[in-house]
Amino acid sequence: MLSFDHYVTPQTLDAAFDAIGRFAGARLVAGATDLLPWAREGRAGDVHLPAMVDVSRIPELCALSVQGDRIRMGAATPISAFQNDPRLQKLAPVLGRCAVWFADDQIREQATVGGNLVNASPAGDSQPALLALNASVTLARRVAARIESRCMPLSDFIVGPGKTQLAGDEILTTIECDAVPGWGAAFEKVGHRRSLVISTVCLAALIRLDWAQRRIDDCRIAIGAVGPVPERLHDVEMRLRGQPPGAELLREAALMTADRVRSRSRQQYRREVLANFVERALASALAQSGVALERLPKESVHA
Amino acid sequence: MPDIASGASASASGRHPMVEISARVNGRQVVRSVPNHYRLIDFVREELKLTGSKEGCGAGECGTCSMFLDGKLIKSCLTPVHKVQGCAVETIDDLDRDHGMTVVQQAFHKCGASQCGYCIPGMVMAATSTLRRNPHAGIDEIKEGLGGNICRCTGYQKILDAVELARDVINGATAPAALQEEPADNFMGHRTRRLDAPSKVTGAIKYAADMWMANMLHMQVLRSPHPHARILAIDTRRASALPGVECVLTSDDVPGVDNFGVFIEDQPVMARGVVRYVGEAVAAVVAETVDIARAALRLIEVQYETLPGLFDPEAAMQPGAVQLHAFAANNICKHTRIRKGDVDAAMREADLVVEEIYETAPIEHAYLEPEAGLAYVEPDGCVTVQSPSQNITHHRHMLAKILGRPINKVRMIMSTVGGGFGGKEDMIYQGMMALGAIKTRRPVRYVFTREESFAASAKRHPFKIHYTMGLKRDGRIVATKMVMVSDGGAYAMSTPGVMNKSAILGPGPYAIANVWVDAIGVYTNNTPSGAMRAFGAFQSEFATEAHLDLCAERLAMDPVALRMLNLMRDGALTHTMQPLDRVLATDCLQAAVAAAGWDAGVPHRRAHGLPARTDLDGPGTRAPCTLGAYLPSAAPSHQEEQQHEA
Repeated sequence: MLSFDHYVTPQTLDAAFDAIGRFAGARLVAGATDLLPWAREGRAGDVHLPAMVDVSRIPELCALSVQGDRIRMGAATPISAFQNDPRLQKLAPVLGRCAVWFADDQIREQATVGGNLVNASPAGDSQPALLALNASVTLARRVAARIESRCMPLSDFIVGPGKTQLAGDEILTTIECDAVPGWGAAFEKVGHRRSLVISTVCLAALIRLDWAQRRIDDCRIAIGAVGPVPERLHDVEMRLRGQPPGAELLREAALMTADRVRSRSRQQYRREVLANFVERALASALAQSGVALERLPKESVHA
Repeated sequence: MPDIASGASASASGRHPMVEISARVNGRQVVRSVPNHYRLIDFVREELKLTGSKEGCGAGECGTCSMFLDGKLIKSCLTPVHKVQGCAVETIDDLDRDHGMTVVQQAFHKCGASQCGYCIPGMVMAATSTLRRNPHAGIDEIKEGLGGNICRCTGYQKILDAVELARDVINGATAPAALQEEPADNFMGHRTRRLDAPSKVTGAIKYAADMWMANMLHMQVLRSPHPHARILAIDTRRASALPGVECVLTSDDVPGVDNFGVFIEDQPVMARGVVRYVGEAVAAVVAETVDIARAALRLIEVQYETLPGLFDPEAAMQPGAVQLHAFAANNICKHTRIRKGDVDAAMREADLVVEEIYETAPIEHAYLEPEAGLAYVEPDGCVTVQSPSQNITHHRHMLAKILGRPINKVRMIMSTVGGGFGGKEDMIYQGMMALGAIKTRRPVRYVFTREESFAASAKRHPFKIHYTMGLKRDGRIVATKMVMVSDGGAYAMSTPGVMNKSAILGPGPYAIANVWVDAIGVYTNNTPSGAMRAFGAFQSEFATEAHLDLCAERLAMDPVALRMLNLMRDGALTHTMQPLDRVLATDCLQAAVAAAGWDAGVPHRRAHGLPARTDLDGPGTRAPCTLGAYLPSAAPSHQEEQQHEA
């Protein structure tokens, strides 16, 4: 059971910093969907905290806006916005495709994008989608009554399983990512069942063709759950850029991923799934861009 | 927010700071002061006594606690109560706004979409949410909408049927008359309404954890952290002294003969001198609140001397192994033998002898209702325990003996069972509750957490089965030998019955002249094994059917033909020598084969030059659920693609 002396719900960032300052050892909470199951028998057991500081009612942490080719979302944006917000549907459809695999209907209303990033689970489902969108995070801290921010790429923010660059006196306020209208987008995930399951492998892919639809102008692939941190497949992306899309090319890209699995368990299975996911996700993203490819027969992967 | 207690003393005393919550619940404004660690599910159930929403897991896994918060479906076990401050909450309890049942609820009633009923409030809420969002939701969207909710009884089909019916009535495609019961002169093949369905689809029915009595106390149980240890001393003085604690119970408080068990009475109400598995009850606290009882548990000091443990049933039977129960030589709890004909001679006559070892795993029932109960003493001195017990008469007799009371002063009431599947046959907590009620003279309520239910309740027996089968070249089975060793865990529970059933039914519905079966249930320091759906037959028959497939392969025979040849027919003699005058096994298999559209032939068709199967994915086969039904531009689904690839 999770218990605490104080639970405060600040309405401003300043008030949140007040609370952090007032209660040493306070814990930030947004959706609470990971925190409450953690404080149960078999995991952390009974946990008593000095205070909980609930950041989910701070307006700037709930705002969503588009500025040029970047999308800004507050850290307390619920994952359900990935599916339901018309701007995200249009400008970053990979987020919606990620959301349908994320937990379940109920938890998507509660869990927040900031929480999923700060939690830094190696299997956090939003991470590959956001990495593919070149996401960056803004961390705020208060120094002498002034709020100072620093910004860093998401790929730098998460440093290990459960470990981020967030300092004890900082709050993750904003996530920024690319707006990619018109790109083909795919999200792949497998786990023990469909809903509410920790990813065994997950992957996000984005692809844009040139104006003549002859060559791959740009592409981005990010993977999760196969190593300590999610990561981009930069070498595969390089291989694909500028190339005419074709089944052999996708197969070649898929086979480049064999050494990317660094999980603690089920490596052989994950290698096979990852290669197939790369191929299938690229084919699906290309199909949305108007290029239908017949995939090579499955047998030759890791034959 | 008033500061009642500082951190250290809040967790030590069980008295937490209070918080005043103001919210609209089911259209009514409520203002209540509750412990500040409450979750929304606690606020609704414990404070407002709206018990329609259930707590199945407490960790967001099962969906039984789903409710609307400002119109959005959420899981209330994952919601700190502070989050509802100033919000609107809508629960199953008043979903109909006092106008009878909603269309969704009526459709659940019509379609028989409630069995134990424990998941149904959550299912109704998820279905309501899905249809509020899209009254034209297709089956894929419905399945996706119910993805966060688990049912352990039905297999979901009737629930999905109900949501589709509700959808059609809500969007006008079907007249509301479709919600009415269809007249039929036969129960078979018709949707006969269940009498208890309205109370289940509305959340009105009371399970044990939903019951409240005036002056009620709460129990919590201290459980063993060791698989095998001697208890040297239990010091309950500090726990007893904690304000709010009414009594602390140990095995010293049991007045009568302290043993219970379905077949062998080998288990004390609380550990007596020795613990034999992790999770065994050692002591119980009865207090004014659950929080105080939990705090008191931490004040009980138990001195253990750890003992070597037995975790492998085969090792437990070896000479020199630690003896877990004085009466059970070689730790054998039950050895069931079947000897029919001469197996050794028949094996020598066989053209083919196939040998294999099969293993099955322990399985948790995971009924959605964790164990719970309410015990009280009637004015006439009769101790009454209400609990979802699957075995009340037997429990009553055992409890009378344990309490040292005449049988007419002990009463067991079976509360509505939120799923049992055999797992609620064992009297693992009712004894402690009765003692608590007698000692405090007040009603005592006890509700397991999901984790506690996993740790303390019986599991399906894991089996290791050494199989030998002798067959003639034409496929006729001449002899079957099954030597089965099963882990019964620390106490017998249903082990003797499970051994019997696994032995009697194990060789399957086949006419076999020579049969040898050993089913050996062994005591170990693992979690006890007990009754679970099919009571042992599942394990042994799994081995038999897997083995027959193997034999068909070796004989290059159609696996159905192999079974058809060997199935019992009229006049067959069972493995235990019971003559059967009428046997419908071949008719049954024929019907199944016809319904399945089975492609006759040997396994490994390609190796035998046969064409690929045509009996897969035929008409009536439902495609697996597709994801992304909500997305505005539905891309080709992965599952469809997989099917083409397969």
